[in-house]
Amino acid sequence: MISRRALELATAVLTGSFGVAVVVQSLDNGIGWSSAGVDSGTFPFVIGLVIVLGSLYNLVRGVLPATSLASVPIAITQIELRRLAGLFVPAAIFVAAIPLLGMYLASALYIFAVLAVPRHQSLLRSLAMAAATALALYVVFERMFQVSLPHGALAAAFGF
Amino acid sequence: MGRTSSFLLFALALTGAAPALAAWQPQKPIEFVATAGPGGGTDNIARAVQNIITKYKLTDQPIVVVNKAGGSGAEGYVYGKASAGDPYKVIFGTSNAWQQPLVSKVAFNYTDLTPIAAMAQDEFLLWVKQDSPYKTAADYLKAAVTGDFKMGGAQSKDTDEVLTRMIEKAGHVKLTYIPFKSGAEAAVQLAGGHIDSHVNNPSESLGQWRGGTQRPLCAFSPKRLPQGAKITATEGWSDVPTCVEQGLDIAQYEQPRTVWLPGKVTPEQAAFYVDLMKKVQATPEWKDYIEKSSQIDTFLTGAEFDKFIKEDIEHLRQVASEQGWLIK
Amino acid sequence: MDNLGELLHGFTIAVTVPHLALMVVGVLLGILVGVLPGLGAPNGVSLLLPLTFGMQPVSAIILLSSMYWGALFGGSVTSILFNIPGEPSSVATTFDGYPMARDGRPTTALATAFGSAAFGALVGVILITFLASWVAQVALAFGPAEYFAVYFLAFASFVGMGGAAPIKTVVALAIGFAIAAIGIDTVSGSVRLTMGIDELVKGVNFVVAVMGLFGIGELLVAVEEEFHARAVSSKIEWREVFRAIGRLPRHSVALLRSAAIGCWMGITPGGPTAASFMSYGIARRFSRRGRYFGTGEVEGIISPETADHAAGTSALLPMLSLGIPGSATAAVMMGGLMIWGLNPGPMLFVDQKDFVWGLIASMYVGNIVAVVLVLLTVPVFAALMRIPFVIIAPLIVIICVVGAYSVSNSYLDVVMMLGFGIVGYLFKKLFYPLAPLVLAIVIGDKAEDAFRQSMLMSKGSLGIFFANKLVTSLVVGGIALLLLPLVLQLARLFRKPEPPTTETTSQEKVII
Repeated sequence: MISRRALELATAVLTGSFGVAVVVQSLDNGIGWSSAGVDSGTFPFVIGLVIVLGSLYNLVRGVLPATSLASVPIAITQIELRRLAGLFVPAAIFVAAIPLLGMYLASALYIFAVLAVPRHQSLLRSLAMAAATALALYVVFERMFQVSLPHGALAAAFGF
Repeated sequence: MGRTSSFLLFALALTGAAPALAAWQPQKPIEFVATAGPGGGTDNIARAVQNIITKYKLTDQPIVVVNKAGGSGAEGYVYGKASAGDPYKVIFGTSNAWQQPLVSKVAFNYTDLTPIAAMAQDEFLLWVKQDSPYKTAADYLKAAVTGDFKMGGAQSKDTDEVLTRMIEKAGHVKLTYIPFKSGAEAAVQLAGGHIDSHVNNPSESLGQWRGGTQRPLCAFSPKRLPQGAKITATEGWSDVPTCVEQGLDIAQYEQPRTVWLPGKVTPEQAAFYVDLMKKVQATPEWKDYIEKSSQIDTFLTGAEFDKFIKEDIEHLRQVASEQGWLIK
Repeated sequence: MDNLGELLHGFTIAVTVPHLALMVVGVLLGILVGVLPGLGAPNGVSLLLPLTFGMQPVSAIILLSSMYWGALFGGSVTSILFNIPGEPSSVATTFDGYPMARDGRPTTALATAFGSAAFGALVGVILITFLASWVAQVALAFGPAEYFAVYFLAFASFVGMGGAAPIKTVVALAIGFAIAAIGIDTVSGSVRLTMGIDELVKGVNFVVAVMGLFGIGELLVAVEEEFHARAVSSKIEWREVFRAIGRLPRHSVALLRSAAIGCWMGITPGGPTAASFMSYGIARRFSRRGRYFGTGEVEGIISPETADHAAGTSALLPMLSLGIPGSATAAVMMGGLMIWGLNPGPMLFVDQKDFVWGLIASMYVGNIVAVVLVLLTVPVFAALMRIPFVIIAPLIVIICVVGAYSVSNSYLDVVMMLGFGIVGYLFKKLFYPLAPLVLAIVIGDKAEDAFRQSMLMSKGSLGIFFANKLVTSLVVGGIALLLLPLVLQLARLFRKPEPPTTETTSQEKVII
């Protein structure tokens, strides 16, 4: 269970640290404004400051026991969290597998896994859909539009 | 791959006919990486070469053109660096392969790539608005002494700005350089009177010259440009005087179109592409492309190309250090 | 009107059997690349380009521009059905198009979008036909300061609206600006904000951000709510297609206003994306039903779509008459023109009358062909909504992954896209608005470039933004649009003290 407040805080910290990174990096580029024009770091610097200040405000609002937040104590329930993970985790594994397996194999396995494992579809239908997905990707991208999708380290090892 | 090439060498040793360096042949599709967006000069040359190769079946493998224009082309070079050892990526660029690393913290240098050839040289001219009072480069320089002149160009600390700084030095003037995304944008800004001049390549401003919105004062080349069809009713490229003729002492400034392979490819693989580009250059379609884009046909490879790069870097380093552009 | 005579002559060139056939082929191909995120009109055009070298230039440009129309129409399909905008200019269409489709009315949403898009394109073409030379002159008046003023106007019309907490809006906007600044800076040539990742020198592509923020983000929200789309009836609803088109004239004010905004932004350097955002923002502010925008309001679809297409069409004019491409696709076409031996520029209209007027005539015919074909596909696309969520969800994930990858063949982009997905989910959950963030990513760096170019020209003085009538009126207009909501709020405050707005009440409002 994740409370609304925790979620607000986490997001504010996330945006705030992005802001800090922007401020720090833009100092490298120089933040001057003179008759010779505006330095390349000036604008990102100001923007970074805005992000940091805004995030601080959101952070403080999240910490204070404001009435507005009290009315929604729970942002994500246990069951919702499980559903979220059910979608996101396989997707993340799919993305992580692309460099090794390549786009075609990885997407076929991904489709097969999310359809067959929770038994949304029969084994045979899942298999057919997985194959159809990979084939469609190949025909449209590799053949028709000549966009080469990654073939993966495994394919390279077999000499494709 | 090692097995294939040694097999091919073996086959060649048996026949003994073909030159050993042409031994390598591509076994899968080739990717042409254009370090410019669709429609830019570098993109056009990559596509022109692709068309010629496909038309004459100079290789059996299909060729795909990919645009990697991010970061003024750095994206394409970084991609080339990351593909070290892969002979199926051919990178098309300009002199910014060695120029960019000098002046900005990009994560590549031209030494990360294998040079194949410089295939064409683009000329530079000094352009002013059609109705401006200057008839010659000398007039222009005289008027520019006030220090209020704005020079437009493509990108920052790139070829156009380097040339601008050279003009400042040779003509003893101070110009305000305004960088735009492309030469075409600079040309439109000049037509609108927002800037006073730019140093576009011939093809970038050809339409504007014909349309009577701007005209070239002089060409930064040792001799006048080759005769071609008339552009306006009375004038063609060969009617534009050289800058030296007009008292602006910059005898030569050109931008080569360069072709590279990623680093760590074998000499046989590099030789295959050198040979391929030579074949491309011998076709009438190539001549046609060169003429339509108003470029100069050249072919530098091997030691000559190396020498050209070294000299250009020497020159750039000088300009860049005077301007304080060199990265620490 | 000699233009009319020229146009009639153009029609005799465009309306021939082979040319009509080329249009059908072009439009169908265009719809395909438009629907597939990651592939866009530039992909299709650059692939067809080599095939066209053997053709007459006018046939070639007809094929390519038909493909452009098809892609413009196709781009709205995924925005409406799956909340995945394939192109920057169709982002604003998701705001009301997707809620309407979710609500069980995908047919209405698609037909409304296509109908108003066709209207916008038509207005754009008429503008090109009769005011070509005048328009070219107007475009020349825009220097860096005026460019900046136009972008400022676009931001002003869009920011400061919506029900989100103001500080959250500011943070979202600023994050968008920071993302736009990543990579090589045009004005100084130096590398910025790469966070130590070498590959980021290329910058963060809009498509990558949007696939994550909208596509994956929405998917996460949907799965959490265990969302089921309202059942779409399985009958093919031809009648609803015509009914939706028939209802369009009722919104003639919105149509005309959006077309005007679109044409204006297409000619000036704003482009289709700024046009669609601005049109949506203004519609939301001035429409009687503005409060309901974001819940599937018809005018919320009409406004961005009309403006997008009006701008997309009129953006072809600067390409032909000035040689500056108004969009990436126009840039590819321009490269084609040069290879065909035509030089875009003022003389094209004089030297190549057949070509120019053949093209303009084909815009009329091509658009009609495109809208007919695309309307025929509506029931097919609407049927996609009937696919169960468990099947469509992984397919959307794959579409987003492949789309992000094919933008520049980069695996890093795929990883970033997934990261943007989490951000999109968090933002949506916590009522951070996504629209300002996306707008800032798309035109933030252009606005910054224009600003700094102006500062170079004026030697650091802000006076340049008040130097002539044009730029002054643009800037003043922008400031007025920014202040308007504040003034209205103050006025309301004086009339009667409102109960303090809490986050719970703003939950009912829709954050876009």
